[in-house]
Amino acid sequence: MNRPAPIERNVADSPGTQVGEPVIVARNVTVGYKLHRERKMLTALRDISLTINKGEFVVLLGPSGCGKTTFINAISGIVLPWEGSIEVNGAPVTGPGPDRAMVFQDYALMPWRTVEANLRMPFEFQNLGLSKDEVDARIARYLELVDLKGFEKSFPYELSGGMKQRVGIARALATEPTILLADEPFAAIDAMTREAMQSELERIVMATGQTVVFITHSIDEAITLGDRIAVISRRPGRIKEVVDVNLPRPRFDGDVKSRPEYAKIRERIWDLVKAEALSGAHGE
Amino acid sequence: MADMQDSETKQGSFEDADRIRKLRLTPAELWQQYGPWATTVLNLTIFFILWELFARSGMINQVFFPTASGMFSTLFEGLTRSAPPDAIISGQIIDHLLYTVRTVVIGIGLACIVGIPMGLLMGGSRHVERIFSPYVWALASLPRIALVPLFILFLGFTMKMQVTIVFLAALFPIVINAWAGVKTTEKSLIAAAKVFGANRRQIYYHVVLPYTLPFIIAGVQQGIGRGLVGVIIAEIFGGSMGLGFLITRAADTFNSELMYAVLLLLVLISLSLIKITRMLEAWIAPWRQQALM
Repeated sequence: MNRPAPIERNVADSPGTQVGEPVIVARNVTVGYKLHRERKMLTALRDISLTINKGEFVVLLGPSGCGKTTFINAISGIVLPWEGSIEVNGAPVTGPGPDRAMVFQDYALMPWRTVEANLRMPFEFQNLGLSKDEVDARIARYLELVDLKGFEKSFPYELSGGMKQRVGIARALATEPTILLADEPFAAIDAMTREAMQSELERIVMATGQTVVFITHSIDEAITLGDRIAVISRRPGRIKEVVDVNLPRPRFDGDVKSRPEYAKIRERIWDLVKAEALSGAHGE
Repeated sequence: MADMQDSETKQGSFEDADRIRKLRLTPAELWQQYGPWATTVLNLTIFFILWELFARSGMINQVFFPTASGMFSTLFEGLTRSAPPDAIISGQIIDHLLYTVRTVVIGIGLACIVGIPMGLLMGGSRHVERIFSPYVWALASLPRIALVPLFILFLGFTMKMQVTIVFLAALFPIVINAWAGVKTTEKSLIAAAKVFGANRRQIYYHVVLPYTLPFIIAGVQQGIGRGLVGVIIAEIFGGSMGLGFLITRAADTFNSELMYAVLLLLVLISLSLIKITRMLEAWIAPWRQQALM
């Protein structure tokens, strides 16, 4: 199979923006959810401040239940911060918008829609000012990008986990958002497919120039994918430290994991998460 | 890229035709495919032959236990011959069958018209739910048969009474299933719709409704079962038409062949209605079939 041509779209080319300019600015964000029955407000994240720049691949790494998902939901706008503020492209987040799209851990594909119809969904819900032909072209292009050409008419239940997630990725990319949010997208996928998917994702975002916020609890996934890794502590989540990953891209062309720098970064992150991981293993 | 082609796909509609080859079945595979059918046919044949021999042996009086052949011929005659137009009460099965079917169809139709929107509203709005749920649970837990004398009092031995019984019997499974469907809609699907810009109306129309559809069909399926019970009981209680009436009349006149024929017919009706709703479900919500298997 031929590799589809990279998409001719570079966010850096759009007027008035520069690579490195902050696109997501979170200031002292505290957010959580209400438990009505127990009359409790549960704080998931406390006092998070993080600036993410254009074209950056930022990984949020932390144990299960540390509030990473809540943070990404706050960026997407489906939950709003209790305190502090989140700005995206210079404007405070008041709800979801077409500049952000999300890839979900359990794919969240509509089971009654074909692959093609699932990709069409975002275009039906929000008016992006595209004609039907343009939307068709977009769908075809992004299905090709994730190597699912020929599966337009398939239903999600006919696809394997890896293929379902590629549909999820294509759906998120098709509206051409400037920010791609990914909530443990490969957690439910078998180990071999996962590596292939990671390399796919790297290739895609290198081509599109998107800003990515990626959640994982796998240290290796964090290092192989991220430009920066924000290590988050157990609930209520706080950012312990932000670690830079200065490994060359594309990282999947060689065996990145055998590089000495990789081991050094891994050791550093392990030091940061060790206490959390061990306390998790002994239960809370 | 080729190395990451997932192999588990069931229906990759690839252009290259050489991926698909015609399958020639071995006798063992043919048996695997059609065996269950053949077994069922053989099984039933043996069953009815044994029945016939047993009935002919005279161990049980034929007033209580007719021969299988007698039952089948009564059934066949009753279904193919209609009463003459000037008859007051028909003795033919077909007339009673049509009456009962009409009652059930009207009753269940009304139950759908009322029950589906009601269940959807109860699932969609906490206020509607709070107001209606005590009544729904109260009436759903009351054995509907206990209401039959009340409706005879109100409506007499009429089709209206029977339709009301069917309606009430079928209504609650439909309401409760639709309600549960809305309530259990997967949160991640709703979150996905929200992220991609859906408003409340779009979430309801594009996520909740399609998700609930198979639940509604399951509710209708249960409703049909309950409705059939309701109509037979209502007809046995009183009236001069319907299969329930025909059973009591067959009993009163010691016509065991007719009685068994009607019972067999009820089994057939019930089975085919369930089969039809199953097929409907498989056609409307194929993903669910897959998930259950």
